[in-house]
Amino acid sequence: MAAKSMTLLWGSGSCPCWRAMIALEEKNLQGYNHKLLSFDKMEHKSQQVLDINPRGQLPTFKHGDTLVNESYAICLYLESHFKSQGNQLIPDGPEEQALMYQRMFEGLTFYEKLGSVIYYDWYVPEGERHDSALKRNKDGLVVELGLWEGYLSKQGSGSFLAGKSFSLADVVVFPTVAFLFRFGLSAGRYPKLEEYYALLKDRPSIKASWPPHWLEGPEEELLLKDI
Amino acid sequence: MTSSGFPGCQSAPAVPAHMAKSMSLLWGAGSPPCWRVMITLEEKRLQGYKRKLLSFQKGEHKSQEVLEVNPRGQLPAFRHGDVVVNESTAACLYLENRFQSQGNRLIPDSPAEQALVFQRMMEGLTLTDRLNSVIYYDLLVPEEERHDSALKRSKETLSTELQLWEGYLQNVAAGSYLAGPFSLADVVVYPNVAFAFRFGLSAGRFPKLAKYYSLLKERPSIKASWPPQWMSSRQGYDVLKDL
Repeated sequence: MAAKSMTLLWGSGSCPCWRAMIALEEKNLQGYNHKLLSFDKMEHKSQQVLDINPRGQLPTFKHGDTLVNESYAICLYLESHFKSQGNQLIPDGPEEQALMYQRMFEGLTFYEKLGSVIYYDWYVPEGERHDSALKRNKDGLVVELGLWEGYLSKQGSGSFLAGKSFSLADVVVFPTVAFLFRFGLSAGRYPKLEEYYALLKDRPSIKASWPPHWLEGPEEELLLKDI
Repeated sequence: MTSSGFPGCQSAPAVPAHMAKSMSLLWGAGSPPCWRVMITLEEKRLQGYKRKLLSFQKGEHKSQEVLEVNPRGQLPAFRHGDVVVNESTAACLYLENRFQSQGNRLIPDSPAEQALVFQRMMEGLTLTDRLNSVIYYDLLVPEEERHDSALKRSKETLSTELQLWEGYLQNVAAGSYLAGPFSLADVVVYPNVAFAFRFGLSAGRFPKLAKYYSLLKERPSIKASWPPQWMSSRQGYDVLKDL
């Protein structure tokens, strides 16, 4: 079985890792080997990771002799290789396909804008931090959230990011949306994003790959509650 | 423009002229993302698309004309009939999938080979960010927030990044690029490499990148879409010369 020849090295609470895991579930590849590593203990910089990914980043993925790093690359690879099994993640119609690809890549900007706020202290050494910078990053995230509220409004209730079917756009963007709420995005301020979150949080592939430490530990600092 | 081949291209059946005519691209000179889409259009024999050069300096990327296609006010903004595809990598993937069987194949058939193309393509976006964080430091960071230590760190990160790519290109030769034959990985990454040399990267310190740069400089799709102002002005910027 294909999944048995697959190995994923991952960390909990990582959007990129989550994307790969959702894709594996959607393609009916449950049963893949996986190893949970700790970012806090710097295990992403360990030799076993560096052997597969010289960048020392997670996720790293192996399928037989094929290595695939970069979460989007893993998702594109899996959809291509296993197109005819599990759920189809790239729509056939040109309009939906174009929209899907566009939202996927806008998803990278979305993730960066989120990270610029919730990971500000992680990215910026103390001596270089400025309230004005964090404020600017928050303003940027608010603009970004407005865009996605708009995108979801246009699609209509019950729809996914690129149309009537769940696609790679949802695979890569949903984790970012889940993080927004995890970090305290206020109920009521972004109703479309809330609706999208509620629509997908119980989807089997997403439930199965939900970050384990979110189920057990205390909440994060609610860095987004005021935006 | 006709769709007859450039020197060096094998002759392929011409694409019906109306196909490219229903395409339009809003672009800016010296923008690697715009360049990627233009390379792809050339590779897929879609010359003859409508295009409009806009000026970043004059803020034309924020004009109504752009906002109607791309609410982010960013270039490239690409349209194929009623289909809009913003985000350069998205436009390239769309074009390769839609026109798979014409022009040059940019994604190989076997999933194992595809894996490397997809990975290098996505790594190319990291390279873009790291280049931008050095080359556009003053544009991205307001004066009162700038620190020598931050710029220094960005330069070190960029240097490490470029050394990775130097390693990926150990065996670069004609026909043997980032993932073997010319592919979407090269479409996405090459403009960054050209950009890096434009801004003073040392060919002596990065010989494999330099070889990659000069091998592909002659490729018809790249030559045809070379940023106009780079052709007429001398290399003026040297921010990367010490990397």
